[in-house]
Amino acid sequence: MGSPPLFYRWSSKIIPWLGILAIIFLSVGLFWGLLIAPTDYKQGDVYRILYVHVPSAILGQSIFMFMAACGLINVVWRAKISGMMLKSAAPIGMSFTLIALVTGSVWGKPTWGTWWVWDARLTSTLILLFIYAALIGLYSSIDDKTKADRGVSILSIVGLAIIPVIKKSVDWWQTLHQPSTFTLTSSPSMSPEMYQPLLLCVIGFYLIFAFTLTLNLRNEVIDRERSKNWVKQIFVN
Amino acid sequence: MLLQGTDLQILTQPLLRFDMRSSVLDWLGIILKRDLIIAFRRSSTYITPLVFFLIVITFFPLALGPQESLLSSLAPGVIWIAALLASLLAVESIFSEDFRDGSLDDFFVSLEPSFILVFAKVMIHWLITGLPILIASSLAAIILYLPLESFVPMILSLLLGTSFMSLLGALGAALSLGKSAILSAIIVLPFSIPTLLMGTSVVTFSLNNQDYSGFLMMMGAMLAIGIPLLCLLTVEALLLNYD
Amino acid sequence: MLPNLKVENLSCVRSEKAIFKNLNFEVLPGQNIEIIGSNGSGKTTLLRTLLGLINKEEGIINWLDEDNNFNEYRTFDCFYQGHQMGIKNMLTVFENLKLTHNAKGMNEEDINKCLERVGLYKINEMASDLSVGQKKRISIARWLLKDFKIYFIDEPFSALDDPASDLIKEIINELNHKGSSFVITGHRSSNINATLIEI
Repeated sequence: MGSPPLFYRWSSKIIPWLGILAIIFLSVGLFWGLLIAPTDYKQGDVYRILYVHVPSAILGQSIFMFMAACGLINVVWRAKISGMMLKSAAPIGMSFTLIALVTGSVWGKPTWGTWWVWDARLTSTLILLFIYAALIGLYSSIDDKTKADRGVSILSIVGLAIIPVIKKSVDWWQTLHQPSTFTLTSSPSMSPEMYQPLLLCVIGFYLIFAFTLTLNLRNEVIDRERSKNWVKQIFVN
Repeated sequence: MLLQGTDLQILTQPLLRFDMRSSVLDWLGIILKRDLIIAFRRSSTYITPLVFFLIVITFFPLALGPQESLLSSLAPGVIWIAALLASLLAVESIFSEDFRDGSLDDFFVSLEPSFILVFAKVMIHWLITGLPILIASSLAAIILYLPLESFVPMILSLLLGTSFMSLLGALGAALSLGKSAILSAIIVLPFSIPTLLMGTSVVTFSLNNQDYSGFLMMMGAMLAIGIPLLCLLTVEALLLNYD
Repeated sequence: MLPNLKVENLSCVRSEKAIFKNLNFEVLPGQNIEIIGSNGSGKTTLLRTLLGLINKEEGIINWLDEDNNFNEYRTFDCFYQGHQMGIKNMLTVFENLKLTHNAKGMNEEDINKCLERVGLYKINEMASDLSVGQKKRISIARWLLKDFKIYFIDEPFSALDDPASDLIKEIINELNHKGSSFVITGHRSSNINATLIEI
């Protein structure tokens, strides 16, 4: 994994599998969730947006954790590939966070009657989006790629430490200003027929992440190693 | 004469070397003294954040109207937002001058451990931005009709909050060294949200006569964890500029 | 006699390009090394690598002390001056020397002696009022604060008039006699008594 040529060869084999698995899980999960799962007695069919909203919200957070782990490895052990992973994962994580926000807002219109509610979850997702933006902004401001990797790694470690605090303080803030009456997703009350397709969708989204991450990472590796012989050999043949 | 001249020299030399070596406290003292003299002679360093803070505060009554009830309920948020922005104003200058004139190199070669440098720089930044803001905040509280009982919680929360902002700001400054000044502020702002939320909560709770000590303890805990963590990460970030 | 610094097989690679390769040299007390190279050839990188500011790719750097303690040696026995000299404009000439860690325990008289040695007499003048050459003299006065074992000076002879470079040569010679060594960089040889290394 550590050496770029090895990663490149290894990833060529794994990419098709990741793609196929992602398609299978997502199509089964979405088909089940959107067409077969029972209609919610309170919200009607509107709730079905949850099959996109919840997985992308989960992904938005776990990709950040993944990035922070990469950042820690990059700062402590100076492993180059972890820096590249961090860079490749950032736009994916930001996109998922954005999808979660947009779908949440679309969901909010029929249920709350407004596009935006300062709900604790939505608020912390919005802050997460800003943190992604800060990371990507810092990335684009440093010209040297290895340095940019390390700089963003350092910032992502701070993010790792501060995200639990943000969540907690947003919760407090909300109870201070408006006692929470209704939350979007309350999994215990969900029936198994609704819950099982959601699980498939979440796995499908993770697979999509793995798939796009590997593709991004391959591009990154090729881009940085373009002067090396092994890259030339691949593209000459 | 049991000890000859040369022997005596060998005996006294380690002692002498020890005396001449700068301890951590000496270092702190030298950096603080040097930078405070410079900041004092260049008065814009501490006046700019102060004036900025007061102008932002004045904007709110001008924009929202001078009703006492409205302003006093908005006061905690207004004061806190102004304080956050003002303390980020001078962030870029924390390391940039030392970096440009080469003193930073000297610190990294001869200061061990290097996070003392960051700690000293954070203290100076707080002394020239946080402290003036802290003093000006009582003036802001008066013009925004914040009740007198909320003064102490406001000062306490600003004390903890601006110190944390100086720490965060130092990291932002180190990461964006030699780049645009606004970048360091943008990097830092999303991470300052918990400070803002807890700081305003302290003042709002005291307005409602509720117990606010929990928030102050949280802010203190953040500061206690932040000092070692952020100082170490800032050293890492500064060293990036030498690679 | 132990060398002050011994370098074996030192290499540095930056963005796929070797900046220097397999450098071997040692600096005995009282001897000097002069690193010669054109702009961007990596002289500063080499100095920073020697000081541990940059991670070395390969090779061994030995700082030979009685107990070979790198940190103690680096923070106490070695003096580094980068291309920028670290002169603060808002401090007086005197304060520019006094407010450095090397001046610890020195009284006013000692510091004045250092300043007089380099020809600076108006010690209460602000550094912002001085010319570049005079600022350079402040930085030279800093060399004299203490007897360091080894000095790393980045381009000491750049932008200097003849009397000033003569002064530097004189001071280097003086300090060499006390057993100090210099590692300096430059575009061309400066005719001091030194081993040349071209990179």
